[in-house]
Amino acid sequence: MHEKQNEIRDFVAEGFQQGWKHLDASSLSSDKTLETDVVIIGSGAGGGSAAEILAEAGLHVIIVEEGPLQTSKDFHMKEDEAYPKLYQESGGRQTKDRGIKIFQGRMVGGGTGINWTTSFRTPATTLKYWAEEMGLKGFSENEMRPWFEWAEKRYKIQKWTVPPNANNSALEKGCGKLGISWGKISRNVTGCLNLGYCGTGCPVNAKQSTLVTTIPGALKAGAMLISKARAEAFVLKKGVITELKCRAMTSRGNAPSGQLITIKARHYVLAAGAIGSPAILLRSGEKSLNPHGLVGTRTFLHPVNVSGAIMPFPVKGEYGAPQTSYSDHYVETRLDNKKPGFKLECPPLQPMLMATALDGHGKIHAEIMKQRPNLQVLIALQRDGFHPESTGGQVYLKSDGTPGLDYQVSRYIWEGIRDAFLAMAEIQFAAGAKMVAPVHRDAGIYGSIKEVKQVIAELPMEILKARLFSAHVMGGCPMGEDSAKSVVNSNGLHHEVGNLSVFDGSVFPTSIAANPMESIFATTAKFATDLAKGMVN
Amino acid sequence: MLTRRKLFKQSAVSAITMLALESCYSSPEIPPAPDGLGHNFEFLTPADRGILSKLTPVILAEGLPTITEQKALAIREIIVGWDIAVSGLPPLTQAEIRKLFSVLDSNFILSLTPRLLTGVPDAWDNTKEIDEFLNNWRFSDPQSLVTGNELRVGYMGMVELTMASWYANPRSWDFCGYAGPPVLW
Repeated sequence: MHEKQNEIRDFVAEGFQQGWKHLDASSLSSDKTLETDVVIIGSGAGGGSAAEILAEAGLHVIIVEEGPLQTSKDFHMKEDEAYPKLYQESGGRQTKDRGIKIFQGRMVGGGTGINWTTSFRTPATTLKYWAEEMGLKGFSENEMRPWFEWAEKRYKIQKWTVPPNANNSALEKGCGKLGISWGKISRNVTGCLNLGYCGTGCPVNAKQSTLVTTIPGALKAGAMLISKARAEAFVLKKGVITELKCRAMTSRGNAPSGQLITIKARHYVLAAGAIGSPAILLRSGEKSLNPHGLVGTRTFLHPVNVSGAIMPFPVKGEYGAPQTSYSDHYVETRLDNKKPGFKLECPPLQPMLMATALDGHGKIHAEIMKQRPNLQVLIALQRDGFHPESTGGQVYLKSDGTPGLDYQVSRYIWEGIRDAFLAMAEIQFAAGAKMVAPVHRDAGIYGSIKEVKQVIAELPMEILKARLFSAHVMGGCPMGEDSAKSVVNSNGLHHEVGNLSVFDGSVFPTSIAANPMESIFATTAKFATDLAKGMVN
Repeated sequence: MLTRRKLFKQSAVSAITMLALESCYSSPEIPPAPDGLGHNFEFLTPADRGILSKLTPVILAEGLPTITEQKALAIREIIVGWDIAVSGLPPLTQAEIRKLFSVLDSNFILSLTPRLLTGVPDAWDNTKEIDEFLNNWRFSDPQSLVTGNELRVGYMGMVELTMASWYANPRSWDFCGYAGPPVLW
């Protein structure tokens, strides 16, 4: 079946055949030095948006991406192929104490290449918190509106009107029965075939990732892409960056090959994500890049816990757009932050992802896998960073210089996770579940809400017992007006080093409390438009 | 600050590391490696493959085919899948998995100490004992003063890599009711 997939036009591959500038760094046999106006590290939501805006303003741009260049013809909807190729650490990245598994993209397109297309504007309540509690300027709802509109137009974000798959419709139905508010998710797709394989790379170029939108836009405007190159560190002289050192990766991509690439630019843009960007600053080891020790701090994850349910009907959650319905009931009713709010959504249910997310082995695991077609799954995303106890994590460097994240789940967030187990079970039973299984080492599978409620009340809320996940890494280079309390200013410019900007999810001073892609698009568009004006004049 | 707890933890970790170091003495009880289907193994040693061939049926239980030849083929493919997956991981993660296998391989030590610490079975031919070993690691306290989170983390690593290798394999899809990726054209 895969041979026939090239019947869809792979216009990105064609663009490269017709002369878009691309260097696969794994093919280098000697060191290389390049010069440019702007080098952008990362090609995801931040890097892609910045690349197009800056290149179209007439600047010469080089984009450096650690992951491979793969295009629609390479996406075969196979889990064992996609996770090692397209995700950080083959999809197995974890926090330092192994308590939270982190899914991050690592490909040309970054997270936008493998995410589930869920698009939300930054919630007004989050913007209000930044303004009122953190003194941020320029991020009011009114000031951000044009940038959200830019993102929605450029990435074709629109209401998804196709009926949901049974996994998502169970969320809608359960919430409806309980009288809990729910909504339909907007998605950045056009001509979507409703396949359900957003997470393994869109095989039909329906998903409007940066791979098929702004990266090609930048390349058409003369930018150069370097794939399989890991940005290592900045070199500074007299308080400004003079060059960026990069390591070429091997063709497999899991380790450096030995060749170095040096890039000299007028301006440097970090867009390597909220683990990668702080790591490059930390590796550079220059006091002026991190004068107050804030780099890598306040890193947020929207920690996710999971509830499985056996439905009396086939769910087949592997097919159909994976994430189309949500509930913000527990965000909206908890804005006083006395208890943490959480957003409820659905994941895709391909078998490998599911089999590895469940705890345990042997007969019981096999039994659940056998009933997989009837399995319905909800996830809860905790709104971290809005409470004095919820201070997030810290990016650190491992012995080989690669980054890790030390994230301790606060007692405050644990109570939100416990509440979320119950909220998800209630929705699942209301939607008709026969059995519900909170995904926790010490939990079984239960036939009534009464029974599961008792169990959830007693479950130990501890890492490596409750299974936790994250697909949203935010913070670590927070923006703000006060240079002693933030890393970049409200234009994304570094407070101390004048020719450095950060344009990605690491600038957020709290979590977003919604899937962050559109927030990164909009923030970057605002920053990059400003930077382009400054550089062109 | 070196707390009492940390001291305990560190001595336990070094005990495990010691075990790992000593495991270069190969044990006669390590099961033979199954046929590698022509795959050129980059990470897994014959001893690792022997152990995996015994762990896999216990981890996957009824998830594996029941017909003997099909089951044996599935196990061989799972082990090949393991090798491919681990070979693509970052070097530091590979080193951790190497350490895990060193502990699993270390059952030649007759002293009680390692068994108390890690509970690795004496022999790899007893399904019940392997299941108990897995459950000991599964339900070990991640905050344990003696072993820290290592056993629980080791359990999750073994199980997840095995689950991933099997449930990504089209041969498992009938069992879990998956029709595979949609045919596009």
